[in-house]
Amino acid sequence: MSDPSIDHWYPVGLLSDINAPRQTLLFGQEISLTKEDTGFSVKTSGGASLPTIKRFGHLWTSLGQPDHDLFAIPEADTPGRHLVDVGSVKVKCSPLRAVENFLDIAHFPFIHTDILGAEPHTEVDRYKVEIREEVNEVWATKVKFFQPQAAKSAEEGIITEYMYRVPAPTCAVLYKTCPPRPGEWDIITLFVQPLTEEWCEVWPWMALYDDESTMAEMVSFQQLIFMQDRSILENQIPLKLPLDPGMETPTQADMTSVAYRRWLKRIGYSYGAQMVAA
Amino acid sequence: MNWIAVGLTDDIPAGTVVPRRVDGLDLAIWRSELGRFHAWSDRCPHRGMRLSHGFVRGEMLACIYHGWQYSLDGSCGYIPAHPELTPPTTICANTYVCEVRNRALWVALGPVKDDIPDVGDRIPIRSFDILCAASEIAQHFAHPQESLLVLNGRYDLAIALQPSTSRSCFAHIFAGAGQDRKIVSRYVEKLRDEMEAL
Repeated sequence: MSDPSIDHWYPVGLLSDINAPRQTLLFGQEISLTKEDTGFSVKTSGGASLPTIKRFGHLWTSLGQPDHDLFAIPEADTPGRHLVDVGSVKVKCSPLRAVENFLDIAHFPFIHTDILGAEPHTEVDRYKVEIREEVNEVWATKVKFFQPQAAKSAEEGIITEYMYRVPAPTCAVLYKTCPPRPGEWDIITLFVQPLTEEWCEVWPWMALYDDESTMAEMVSFQQLIFMQDRSILENQIPLKLPLDPGMETPTQADMTSVAYRRWLKRIGYSYGAQMVAA
Repeated sequence: MNWIAVGLTDDIPAGTVVPRRVDGLDLAIWRSELGRFHAWSDRCPHRGMRLSHGFVRGEMLACIYHGWQYSLDGSCGYIPAHPELTPPTTICANTYVCEVRNRALWVALGPVKDDIPDVGDRIPIRSFDILCAASEIAQHFAHPQESLLVLNGRYDLAIALQPSTSRSCFAHIFAGAGQDRKIVSRYVEKLRDEMEAL
């Protein structure tokens, strides 16, 4: 396989959950995960050992030869945060569609009604989007949106501010204002494991300041949000993400999506992408 | 191209939207609050979401994903993320010609030469899917036309076939007045089983 898409790190399991061997797929290839005395091991069906990284509660691996370390989220290391392993949800869509949906706020009033958004508060103000060349990441900042219940610990509607970061083609990090700690950001991530080009396993992970909710409540909140997203992701046509303009119609609210698609095209990332207008 | 029946009008109440497939093409069939029918590609031009998952608001169809609203002619009239914006006319759902005849909705995917097939004074009974190609069924009855089979056997029947995929179709059944609906319905179920066994 000469696709440069394989030369990245991908999440393949929760560190806390690989006590029994796990069989899964990466780029359509079967891989097996086991916990041994010496640490975690990931092997292809042919028995070849793959490199591993343990980070953000997950085990990461690669079928290719990454020339870079897995990205860092320094903010997640600050004390006082609850690190939440949400688990995974399998979705019949391109891994890239899953990431793009995570970067989108305009759907909140319609898909996460009365939780992350509510009519008539549907307007998306202009925000800032850039591709940060020095780190090769997509960033959206100064994103503001009305939320009736911004997090488990929020009780009434507020204007929430967000920053979105795409540090790897199938990973996104969301920083959002944190009601109990003004000035700090809660961190919610979406790590996506490409099972095939049209099937993915999504691993949300969170580093939150929330002293009121139980771990189970924080997990079920995030799972509810993602189940609502899944009803969309499995019904977009095509299931792959079109990278060429013309097939879909972005507006100003979609600037993050536009930058993400442009960046994928620039770095030559084609797995799960549709390159030719159908 | 032929006119294809995609549903019986009684099965699509005003204010609803349903998915239909014709020759592998996904359609969103919707009926406005005032009762007007529309046949569109089942795909929002914004992000490709199926419009059949959306909702009818008065005389507009709204996509469920971002609430974009489309007018009767398919043009986008409202984008909730930009309430002040008049959407450019280039944002438009892909629309097809459709017409109501004999209490069924007929769709043309391209230019048509022929009239809508005549069901006569038969009345609509029901619709169901058959795991068999429409062409095979027409062939089985040695019928020249796939889109409407008129059978004069034990019962006076007209069956409008909607080819959904290359291996399945939807059958919309009409029967001559005066025949018992239940008996006719059971008879066509038997016909379906025969067709699926072909």
